[in-house]
Amino acid sequence: MDPYIERSPDGAVAIGTLDSLLNLARKNSEWYLLFATACCGIELMQTGGPRTDADRFGFVFRPTPRQADTIILAGTITYKMASRVRLLYEQMAEPRYVISMGSCANTGGPFYDSYPVVKGGDLILPVDVYVAGCPPRPEALIEALMLVQDKMAREPWLRKARGRWPDPKDPWPQPSAVLGSCAAAAKGPTPKG
Amino acid sequence: MKPEEIRDKLTASLGAAEYTPGPGDAAITVPVDRWHEAATVLRRDPDLDFDFLRSLSGVDRPAVGKIEVVCHLLSYRHRHTIVLKTGIDRSAPAVPTLSDVWPAANWHERELYDLFGVNVTSHPDLRRLLLPEDWVGHPLRKDYKEPDSYRGIPMQRPQTAAEAVTPPAAPEKP
Amino acid sequence: MQLLAERIATWLGMEGLPRQAVVAGVVLVVALVVATVVLTIAGILTWAERRVAGRTQSRVGPNRVGPLGFLQWVADGIKLITKEDVIPAAADRTLFRLAPYPVIVGIFAAFASVPFGQKLIAADLNVGVLYLMAITSLVVVGVLMAGWASNNKWALLGGVRSAAQIVSYEVPSVLAALSVVLLAGTLSLQGIIGKQGGWPWEWYLFYNPFTFVAFFLFFTSAVAEGNRTPFDLPEAESELVAGYNVEYSGMRFAGFFLGEFANVYLLSAIATALFFGGWQIPGVTPDMQAASPVWQAVGVGLFALKAGTGAFVVLWLRWTMPRLRVDQLMGLCYRYLLPLSFAMLLGNAAYVWLVPQWAAWVVQGATTTVGLAVAGVFVRRVFYHIRHVGDDVSLDLARGESGTFDPQLQVRVYGAFRRRHAGDSAS
Repeated sequence: MDPYIERSPDGAVAIGTLDSLLNLARKNSEWYLLFATACCGIELMQTGGPRTDADRFGFVFRPTPRQADTIILAGTITYKMASRVRLLYEQMAEPRYVISMGSCANTGGPFYDSYPVVKGGDLILPVDVYVAGCPPRPEALIEALMLVQDKMAREPWLRKARGRWPDPKDPWPQPSAVLGSCAAAAKGPTPKG
Repeated sequence: MKPEEIRDKLTASLGAAEYTPGPGDAAITVPVDRWHEAATVLRRDPDLDFDFLRSLSGVDRPAVGKIEVVCHLLSYRHRHTIVLKTGIDRSAPAVPTLSDVWPAANWHERELYDLFGVNVTSHPDLRRLLLPEDWVGHPLRKDYKEPDSYRGIPMQRPQTAAEAVTPPAAPEKP
Repeated sequence: MQLLAERIATWLGMEGLPRQAVVAGVVLVVALVVATVVLTIAGILTWAERRVAGRTQSRVGPNRVGPLGFLQWVADGIKLITKEDVIPAAADRTLFRLAPYPVIVGIFAAFASVPFGQKLIAADLNVGVLYLMAITSLVVVGVLMAGWASNNKWALLGGVRSAAQIVSYEVPSVLAALSVVLLAGTLSLQGIIGKQGGWPWEWYLFYNPFTFVAFFLFFTSAVAEGNRTPFDLPEAESELVAGYNVEYSGMRFAGFFLGEFANVYLLSAIATALFFGGWQIPGVTPDMQAASPVWQAVGVGLFALKAGTGAFVVLWLRWTMPRLRVDQLMGLCYRYLLPLSFAMLLGNAAYVWLVPQWAAWVVQGATTTVGLAVAGVFVRRVFYHIRHVGDDVSLDLARGESGTFDPQLQVRVYGAFRRRHAGDSAS
């Protein structure tokens, strides 16, 4: 079945049935990477706990980036860690999503004036969803994961997989331009010894 | 043992040692060439027996052109504490390692090297501890200037849309 | 031995065609059917595992996709298909791509001789037990291939651990199964089930004390062979990230995943056939069952029920037991399980040789009584704990009510703690 895209006059978009079926499956099986850089990780762990049971929505953690769909930047990222974070992101299989959790991962937070702290995870990774808070409550993280679900539901996965998306003649609403660039950080310093 | 007695003990085996009684921990300042010897006496003398290196840190004093290296010591057996200090030249800071006296000093001295640029001589493994290997400068020096970017990551958030750049695409996978 | 394929060929009246062609065609169809059934079972077990985990941890578990989240496994499967298939640059590409297949083949081929019902068996081999034990060992090859080809230290460690573990635990599990073979006098699973009966006292589980112990030996070793907690060292995420499948994504990972869960059902099914009377219905002889399709269906249902209960116990174990250390794992196998299973085998041999029939009846009755009493006490104990600790998923705290949490009690306990330790800090 060929997927189709239709635009209604007010700009809303309907996606083909097969794509919506695939997306329904994809969004209900969003596995996140069990990875945290700092104290927001405590809330990240709590999110899988009994009070806010992330497993209800099909969010389970995977310990390895190869099997994860979403990486959650939970906490302060130092420059030494930046290359590792970037490496983890690149090890993930497409399609992949990034959630920036907490003030530090959003902008550097309370450590903005500190020399070793990256001033926001979006300088090294293309972030899809930002969660405010220091740290955000587990409910907020669930909300962020569900926003990623929304994003998944709107993506024409099949067209993308067949190399027909994005179409320059029919531009799809792109994720908002994210700040920053670090091509070199992708390679990262090699630790000696 | 009282700090004065520790001072007397140290002076007896070492010679000169400057003593600062403080409202906090009393401090003994030794010249840098007696640094290792002083530490050895404090660690090995059965009456002193400082078996716990609580902290080894640095203080930058550009006004006097010195970097102070400060050891906070504790003896679990005798329940007494002392602070051991030395001042080193700021333009070419070097201090002998204490990692053979207290193994815990190893990483403390790496941190000292990392953040103050103190060259710890005869250290077994002198690398940066907290910052990346290719970091320029030593951030806890008072005259440290933050660079604009590290490996392409800007040190300040872009303030205007013109400064904003799209993040790099992931490299093609084979 | 009569292949199901030949039976179907005769049934369809296709004897005229070349025999090999018919058999090949029917075998293909049967293999597809078996594979589909196994995939479905494995998928449902992944859902069941997450529900059981949720219940164990006072959570809810998946409940958004379908009723009670039942279609969660379908969503996971489709998602894994849509994921990119990453092959690391440093990996051995051929081996890396090949590695999931031995795992899948090893587990799925074993299902060919699993007796789902009296007539519902793809191939009733006269060496059934031997075949099962042999073909499931193929998993080791796949796991080791995955570990080696990934060119990743965690994967290699996981693969080597898994190989060591499966090879070691193969021995006690085979020896324990051999006890039953000794009693039944046949290696065919249908033959073993035929020697048992529907009622619990006719099962080999309660045949004599030796088989009773042999069952636990078999079950423990089989769980360890399937790399399940508390023996899931190859996948221990606290030490080895994800073990041998650390570099796998997408459908190749799903292959390992489904293999693991199919193995859970497989070991329960083998245990059911060997020790729990398989498809035998209480009060119905095999001849009566063969004559009536209704009894056939009941038998299939009963087998599924028994095997499902076994699978549930494996899942339950996973979320209850902490993980063993490597040396403890190997010590358990070589110090305890191996000598014990030898003792059970010799005990059974001596039992068959020495004990007269009338004494065997007495022993069987006594073992049944003791075994059922133990099971009863265990179940009572579990329900006692559930009643007293509670397994309800309570949202009281989230609603702002205190529920069973008593702040006064906390204050009192903490106050006593502080008073007791008040003198320590003063000195």
